[in-house]
Amino acid sequence: MSAATRIAAKDLRLRLRDRSAIIIGIVAPLSLAFILSTVFGSAFDSNALDLQYGMVDLDQTETSGAFLAALNSIEEEGILTLTEFSAATSAEAAIEEGEISVYYLIEPGLEEAVLTPKDFTIAVIGDIDAPTSAQIGTSIAEQFGQGVSTGQLSVGTAAVLTSPPPAPEQIGIWVGEAAESGQSFIMIDVSAETRQLDQTTYFAASMAVFFLFFTVQFGVLGLLEEERDGTLPRLLAAPIGRTSVVSGKAILAFALGMISMTVLVVATSLPPMQATWGAPIGVFLLVVAGVLSAVAIMGLVASVAKTPEGAGNLGSIIAVTLGLLGGVFFPLGQGDDFLSKLTLLSPHAWFMRGMGDLAGGAEWTAALPATGVLLAFALVFGSIALIFLRRRLWQ
Amino acid sequence: MKVLAIAMNNLRRMLRERSNIFFVFIFPIAIILLIGAQFGGGVEPAVGIHLGDDGRIAVEIAEEIESDDRLDVIRYEFEEDLTTAVERGHIQGGVFLPAGLDQVAASGEQVEIEYVARPDGFGAQLQQVVAAAVSRVMTPVTAAQFASAETGTDFFIALDVSASGGVPAPGLTVETSALGEAVFPDTLGQFDLGAAQQLVLFVFLTALAGSAALILTRQLGISHRMLSTPTSIRTIVVGEGSGRWATGMVQGVYIMAATFLLFRVNWGDPIGAFLILVTFAAVGAGAGVLMGSIFKNDQQAAGVAVVLSIGLAALGGSMIPAELFSPTMQNVAHLTPHAWALDGFAELVRRGGTTADILPELGVLSAYALVLMVLSAWRLRVAITRP
Repeated sequence: MSAATRIAAKDLRLRLRDRSAIIIGIVAPLSLAFILSTVFGSAFDSNALDLQYGMVDLDQTETSGAFLAALNSIEEEGILTLTEFSAATSAEAAIEEGEISVYYLIEPGLEEAVLTPKDFTIAVIGDIDAPTSAQIGTSIAEQFGQGVSTGQLSVGTAAVLTSPPPAPEQIGIWVGEAAESGQSFIMIDVSAETRQLDQTTYFAASMAVFFLFFTVQFGVLGLLEEERDGTLPRLLAAPIGRTSVVSGKAILAFALGMISMTVLVVATSLPPMQATWGAPIGVFLLVVAGVLSAVAIMGLVASVAKTPEGAGNLGSIIAVTLGLLGGVFFPLGQGDDFLSKLTLLSPHAWFMRGMGDLAGGAEWTAALPATGVLLAFALVFGSIALIFLRRRLWQ
Repeated sequence: MKVLAIAMNNLRRMLRERSNIFFVFIFPIAIILLIGAQFGGGVEPAVGIHLGDDGRIAVEIAEEIESDDRLDVIRYEFEEDLTTAVERGHIQGGVFLPAGLDQVAASGEQVEIEYVARPDGFGAQLQQVVAAAVSRVMTPVTAAQFASAETGTDFFIALDVSASGGVPAPGLTVETSALGEAVFPDTLGQFDLGAAQQLVLFVFLTALAGSAALILTRQLGISHRMLSTPTSIRTIVVGEGSGRWATGMVQGVYIMAATFLLFRVNWGDPIGAFLILVTFAAVGAGAGVLMGSIFKNDQQAAGVAVVLSIGLAALGGSMIPAELFSPTMQNVAHLTPHAWALDGFAELVRRGGTTADILPELGVLSAYALVLMVLSAWRLRVAITRP
């Protein structure tokens, strides 16, 4: 057993006996992941939208029936659920009860308006707190409206472009033809892969990586504590290399981080949380790279701080800032705006991105890009920290 | 007088610590800013668009989708970026407008527009909104294709006619109206909701984190030394409690003033808002002193403080408004003082209430504070008189 591992093993025993590391490394992330996923899960059902629509058809004609048929075919695709009501009052009551979020009201005269033609309004009444449901409901009615006017717009345009004006018989033929011809466009669905974590796994991963940066502090701050308590000179007087002293603490920090992450991944996979971490090899790579980056960054903090307290405080500020930036509490930025580019400076963001890339049953190799970036973080900050720490021990 | 001295000393100790300046004064404002920027004014569903070329039809469709102010529309230069953004959940859906739409349409063929969404989420439902915008642009195109085929006129001339709005066709309009009273009215400022949520989160967090200082005071024997002076236990207990309370008040008043000056946050009736802060800071002080007298190790206390203050804040509606919770979770939320404080702010800010309207909330918070203070006084008395 080398000097470095002996130092690490001794410290590890001490740290596990003092329950602080267990509280920060395991109890805190586990309980917060559970609370946050319960709270957020209660508010948003995995960001899906349950479209419960109502229909009040007071026109009761072929045209209003066509609208109902259009809605039914969308219902068959599983996009919405439709309930028919005989009167507006019962549909309104259903909204107040929370049974539906939106209803269509078709007053008498729809078919007459289409045939005449004259203006007609389809009313969409939605719960004020469900704006997206109402927006989608409105869009469906608009598409129906566009479909109805297509035929007449086609015939009308042809008539305008014909001189002298066409005979009524010609228009009759066109009306028939226009009704037969289809739309000029088709929308094709492309299903994307999912590279986004579900609610529970998101918070399991985000809390794990957030507290990881505090957990490894118990290791890297050890050097400063030895310095404060006066045991460092004695350690340096022993026949061991200075690098061994530094790497002993780094090994300890790495071990604490790995223990914490492993326990968290296993514990959150079990009931009641049942997080779905992706391919095990990919998760393992991300965890190792994530722990290394945390050790490196917190090591750098320790190397520039004067006292363990100072390092602890500065470390907390950096861990909280990087965590917030990395979206451990809520995702930051939308699309590719400045804020979402800024998040890429945070190892937390890369860890979460890597875990996201593994979601939806991807191969373990999907984790490689994020793992690479995390290792780069570890290499850059770790090297700087090592230079600073060695110089400090020499003085 | 001695109570004041102990209290002021606690406040000074907190302010001397440089990292506290960050966590107590800078960090809360930064979070309020970020949350306001991200979620303020509601979250609109986001859709991405990729244009294959800048032909007439493609540009019109893109502009039509962008004109919907209930959508957050982002244009992507590269197809892969759009697909990745959908996969990662940064946006809900993506529209690909292929190159050469104009030529395909002019030849009388059907144009194909791809819409990409993830199987989870509500991208598939959002497709209806995109499809409506597309059909508003494509209905005149359909008409122009028909007219061009029937009359032999150039397609683009026919399109000018059909898109001009001069051809009579039944105007089937859709009128949307909303029912009920909005939980979050339009008058709610971008930062209003987040400011109140973060105020209660941080005042409570700072109070609990203060327990570490109390443990240190006990560990270093300062409490014992104070007892050896002609100072009653009652004075020490009240002094320690007042110190935590004063810290909460300083932070709370600072957050209110700073967010009002920086972001014009509306805190409603000032007396009511101040009273919520007074009672809530007292709850925090009680909890902080209780923790400080139960725990022996300040690092353990700090860990538990983080879990308790973030956990209770999340349960109490400081992260997602409790109004959005399921009924069961709303009941759970009201076991936390946070939910009552936030209800009070909601009454003042969203419904223009006055102090009289928030008496129930103030009552519950006072009861919390009272119970916690009695408990903490008892525990602290035990802790500092133990040999």
